[in-house]
Amino acid sequence: MATVHFVPAGRSVSVDQGTTILEASRRAGVLIEAPCNGAGHCGKCTVQIPLDDLPQIVVHVDAPADDSGEGVVLACHSEVYGDITVLVLHRAEEGLRVISAGSGVQAEPDPFIVRRYDATARQTAIWAGDRLLAAEPGDTTGKNYGLVVDVGTTTLVAALVDLANGRELTSASALNPQSLHAQDVLSRIRFAADHDGLSLLQRDLITELNRLAREVSTKAGIDVEEIYEVVFSGNTCMLHLAAGVNPAPLGKNPFTPTLTGNSHVAASALGLAIAPSGLVYLPPVISAYVGADISAGILAAGLAELPGVTLFIDIGTNGELVLAVNGRLTASATAAGPAFEGMNISCGMRAAVGAVERVAIGTTGELDIAVIGAGVPSGICGSGLMDLVSELVEHGIIGNNGRFGTPTGLAAPLAARLVGEGSKAAFSINDTVSLTQKDVRQVQLAKGAIRAGIELLLREEGLEPKHLDRVYIAGSFGYHLREQSLTTLGLLPPEAAGKVMFLGNTARSGGEMLLVDHRLRSGLKTLVDQVRVVDLAGNPAFERVFMEAMGF
Amino acid sequence: MARKTKQEHLQELSDAVLDMDEERTVKAAHEALVEHVDPYDAIQGGLSDGMARAGQLFEDEEYFIPELLMCSDAMYAGLDVLKPHLKQVGESRGTVVIGVIEGDTHDIGKNMVRIMFETGGFKVIDLGRDVPPQRFVDTAREEQADIIALSTLMTTTMDGMGTVVRLLDEADIRDGIKVMVGGGPISPGFAKRIGADGYAVNAAEAVKVARELVA
Repeated sequence: MATVHFVPAGRSVSVDQGTTILEASRRAGVLIEAPCNGAGHCGKCTVQIPLDDLPQIVVHVDAPADDSGEGVVLACHSEVYGDITVLVLHRAEEGLRVISAGSGVQAEPDPFIVRRYDATARQTAIWAGDRLLAAEPGDTTGKNYGLVVDVGTTTLVAALVDLANGRELTSASALNPQSLHAQDVLSRIRFAADHDGLSLLQRDLITELNRLAREVSTKAGIDVEEIYEVVFSGNTCMLHLAAGVNPAPLGKNPFTPTLTGNSHVAASALGLAIAPSGLVYLPPVISAYVGADISAGILAAGLAELPGVTLFIDIGTNGELVLAVNGRLTASATAAGPAFEGMNISCGMRAAVGAVERVAIGTTGELDIAVIGAGVPSGICGSGLMDLVSELVEHGIIGNNGRFGTPTGLAAPLAARLVGEGSKAAFSINDTVSLTQKDVRQVQLAKGAIRAGIELLLREEGLEPKHLDRVYIAGSFGYHLREQSLTTLGLLPPEAAGKVMFLGNTARSGGEMLLVDHRLRSGLKTLVDQVRVVDLAGNPAFERVFMEAMGF
Repeated sequence: MARKTKQEHLQELSDAVLDMDEERTVKAAHEALVEHVDPYDAIQGGLSDGMARAGQLFEDEEYFIPELLMCSDAMYAGLDVLKPHLKQVGESRGTVVIGVIEGDTHDIGKNMVRIMFETGGFKVIDLGRDVPPQRFVDTAREEQADIIALSTLMTTTMDGMGTVVRLLDEADIRDGIKVMVGGGPISPGFAKRIGADGYAVNAAEAVKVARELVA
C-alpha cells in the first residue's frame, strides 16, 4: 500500500501500488479534471509531484510528452509505488458561474400537493392528487413548499418555491459530485455498469442534493420536512442515476431509456431527506439523448404554442435541438463534444475566475478581452472561445478551412500574436493563454456537428434556414454568447441573424412551471409523446453536411 | 502540345488529388490513359501518392477532415476512370476487416479510416456500424484477413473491442490477425490492455500503423 496526500485539499488516501494518481484522487474525493477520462488525450489532469517524491511514481510509457516542467505529470498516466504528495494544479474553479435563471411563463399555481385543514380534527391533511401523504397537527395550509432541482451533468441547481404563489424563495448551486468519478455522461454510464458504481453515483448525488435542500430551506427559514414534492429536471442519464436506475441501455444502440418519466418516485426510496412521505416527480423524457431538461425547455419556451418556425438549441457536450413548426416538434441530439465547455481545448476552462469570456478585436487590431473576476487570464471558457474564433475568422486570421494564416494588411498588434508555424501555429492572448491550430479543429468539429444537426432537422421538415422565425438558445451558456459570434462561426446559419434569443436555464424554469402547476404535466407528456426524434448518426446525408458545416 | 513524360502524368494526378480537384483528376486520368501510362502505375504513383501527401498534410494540421474527404472524392473519381483499364488487379498490401463496434452507430471516423486504407493499397471489407464482435472474427476468418480494425466514439461500447481479441484467441486464429483500434475514447494504454496490436489517433496514422503491422 502507498499513501497519497493531496494538497491543497489536505486529504489522504491509501491505495494499492500501481494505482494511478487519478484513481487515488477519486477515492480520496479530490476532484481532478479529466475530461477524456484517463485516455491521455486531453492533458487536463496535470498535477505536480515534489521532486523528492518523483522516484515513488512511474509515468506510464504511453503518456503523451509534456514539457510543462519537472514534476508535472498526467494524473491518469502516473502510477503510485510509494508515499507521495500531490499538488493539484488545475482546481482553479473558484467562482464557477452557474446559470440558474431561465425564462419561463409564470404559471397560475395549481400544485400537485394540496393541504386541507380539517377544523374538527384540528389537523392539516396533505394530499398528492387523490393520495393522502400525511397529516400535520394544526393549520399548516400556508406552508406549501416545493423544490426544483436541475440535475446537470456538471452542476446542480436547487430552487425552493412557495407553492401558494409560485414564487421562488431561495436557490443554491453546487458541482455534481459524480464528476469526481466520471466527467461526462458516457463515462458515468460506464462507471455505473461496474459493480457498485451505480449505487455510489446515486448516493453521492443524493447526499449533495440533501445538503442543497437543507441550504435553501434554512435560507428561507423553513423546515426541509415541509417539502412534499421535488421535481428533478435533467438529461436522461442524470435522471436515471438520480433515481438509481441503471443507465446502461442509454450507452448502446438502440439507445432506449428505461425511465420515460412523467412519474413519481418516493423520496424516501431515493434517500432524499424531505418530508418522509414526500415524492419526486420525474418529467417526461423524449429519448436517450433528449431528456427531461429539454422537455422542461419546450415548456418554458412555449415552443408548441409558437406560430411559424422556431429552433430551440441547448449547447453542451451533446447539442440538443428541437424544431417547432406551428406546434409540431422534431428533436435530435448531436455529439458536439466538450469543446464549448472549455474541455479538449489546450487553454480551455469552465466559466470560472480567470476565464476569458469575451473577446473583441478593435479597429487598430488591439485585443479587447473580458476576464471573469477581472484578473489576469488563465484560460478560455466556451463563450470566450466562440468570440475569439469568430473574431479571428472575421479578420481573416483563420481561413474558411480553419487554418491559421497571415492575411495581407493584417494590423501589427494582431500579427505579433500569431506565433509558430504549421501544426504549431497559435494565436497568443498572453504568455500562458493561447489558441492553437488543434483548438480551432476542435471548435470546427463541435460547431459542425450542431450546424449539421440544424440543417438536417430543417430538411426533415422540408425547410431551409431562411424559414426560421426565431432561434432560442438555452443551457449553461445562458446569456454570455453573442449572436454575431454564433453566426460568424457558422454554428448558426447566417439567416438566424437578428432572430436569436437567449433563454438561460430552461431546465430549471420549465421544472418550476411543472412544480407550480401540475396540470401542465399531462399536457407535456402528450406533447413529448408526439415529438419525432431524428437519428442524425443514421442519416446517410449527415456525413457530407457535417463536412460542409466544419468550414467557416 | 508536347507529350508529358510518365512522371509528369503521375505528378499531375497526384497534385489534382491533393488540390481536391475532382474534374482535374478525371481529366488527368483520361490523359494518362491516352498517352499509355499503365493504369496500375497511374493509380499507385498518381492517385494514391496524392492521398498519401494529403494524409501528411492532415498530420501536419494543414488539412482537416473535410479536405481529406474532398481529396478522396477526387481520388475515387480518378479511380473510376482508370480501374476498367487495369489488366490485372494489383497486389494488395493486405485485407482489412473494418467496422464500428457493437452498440455504437457513429461511423464517420471509421469511414475516414476506410478511405485511407483503400487509397493506401489495402483491400477493405467494411462491416458498417453496430457490428457484433463475433462478426468481425467470422468475417476475418472467411476472408483470410490480415487486420481487423475497430472503431468507436463511445466510452460505453469500447469494451467490445477487447471481446474481439478474446474471441480471436478462443478461435485460435489470433496469431495470423492483427487487431487495430481507434476512436475518441481510445488510448494507446487501452489498446495495450485489451491486447490489441495497434492504435492510431487518426485516419492518416491508421494506414501507417497498418503498413507496419503487415510488413
